[in-house]
Amino acid sequence: MIKAIGDAFSDIRSGFRLRRVWLALAREDIDDQHRRTRLGPLWLLVNYLAFASIFIFLFHRGDSSQESYAAYAATGLLVWLFISEILTQANTLFLREENFIKGTTLPISVYVLRLTMQSVIRAAYAVAGCAVILLLSGAVPTPVWLFSALALLLILVAAPATIIIFAFLGAYFPDSQFIVTNVMRLGMFLTPVFWVYSGQGGFRMAFYHWNPFTYFLEIFRIPITDNTVPTQSFLICGTVVLTLWLLALVLLGRYRKQVVFVL
Amino acid sequence: MVSINVENVGLVYRLRQKISLARKTPAVQHTGGRVSEAGGRKTVIALEDLSFSLEAGDRLGLVGSNGAGKTTLLKVLYGIYEPTMGKVEMKGRVDALFNISLGFRKEATGRRNIVLRGLINGWSLDQINDRMDAIIEFSELGDFIDLPFKTYSQGMAARLAFSVATSLEPEILLMDEWIGAGDARFQEKAKRRMEEIAEKAGIIVLASHNHGLLKRTCNKILELDKGRLKAFLPVDSWEETG
Repeated sequence: MIKAIGDAFSDIRSGFRLRRVWLALAREDIDDQHRRTRLGPLWLLVNYLAFASIFIFLFHRGDSSQESYAAYAATGLLVWLFISEILTQANTLFLREENFIKGTTLPISVYVLRLTMQSVIRAAYAVAGCAVILLLSGAVPTPVWLFSALALLLILVAAPATIIIFAFLGAYFPDSQFIVTNVMRLGMFLTPVFWVYSGQGGFRMAFYHWNPFTYFLEIFRIPITDNTVPTQSFLICGTVVLTLWLLALVLLGRYRKQVVFVL
Repeated sequence: MVSINVENVGLVYRLRQKISLARKTPAVQHTGGRVSEAGGRKTVIALEDLSFSLEAGDRLGLVGSNGAGKTTLLKVLYGIYEPTMGKVEMKGRVDALFNISLGFRKEATGRRNIVLRGLINGWSLDQINDRMDAIIEFSELGDFIDLPFKTYSQGMAARLAFSVATSLEPEILLMDEWIGAGDARFQEKAKRRMEEIAEKAGIIVLASHNHGLLKRTCNKILELDKGRLKAFLPVDSWEETG
């Protein structure tokens, strides 16, 4: 296992040395998706605003237990969209990069960082949209908001590890892409993205407490909506991130040169 | 000093049964070597006990029928496949001309594609800028270089791919078939470019079915048969037996 982790670090070091490659490719990927459109990547901002506004309008009336529901939903949606994109895109990553993996000696981490960068660029537009909603909802920034910035950093650190795990899963178990897509569709409603948990029992309690996504949403959301630091959620997320990285490093070290044979 | 040293190299990989909800089928269609089955596990012996050495000035022609392991050996030398047995020592910068159109983006301009392809090849921005004018000039694309790649004819696209791919000064060059591009006139120019690269490179390893080309270009021949070394000899001796 030590050797696998050492090999994984060496792959990641090479990936960082080739940062110009994944930075350039990620930029091209985003540009290509919007090249013919008038608004270009601004569509990412419009998409987020439209999505968030519809849900805020629909759910605010039915569930107004949260004082600032707009901020609650906007922050939750921002984190959820990022996580959801990472998981679904990562699953087919090696299949999409098959020609590169079979034709070049680029380290696997280049593909992982390319997808991370793409998701970060998309999320940056959503962050701008989230800031607009927070501004309109009358939220006033406080020093506690710095913990939300720390939360974003933690989520960002988790992204490459998650991508590595789900990319290997998708390569060795191709059916998983359909399972992950469906779980994420369902997960949006089983995670407190739009609904508010207010201490009731039953299914909602189970979906709230036993759902790891809840804690990643909370570390970003609670400093903004409640002006407090969710220490327990930070601890849970920190542990999850460390576990993800450990698993990712072992997988990367052990299978980075094997994956070419299963594509 | 540029050299290649291959010692008892073998490449064996498991033909994985992909974990799937569908009916069981082999995960990959293996392309060469031999398939063996033991204890319900299928493995592909792609290369077995290969040993040979090359020094500066050597031009090695790889021959063998389809599935003999030529491309696999090239990919082992390049580092895409890690040998499961033995060791490979490559001294010198290795460049490969396998899939020259890999990575070209249809929405990006020709100029941007040169940058992207250069980055993928591991060139620095300075190296790309230094080579840019020469690549554009060789490709004969003129003003088209600043138009999207998707507006190019097949011939233009092939000329650009060839120009970028061959704009290198390799110490060790690996080729899966001799490459060419464009119409008859450009083919002639491409041929001269390939000969120049071949002259400059310290070592060339070229896999091809074109025996005439190998006899003209190479000084040594390595013949593979189902992943095993069948012959490694000077091209003159091969001419006698081949």
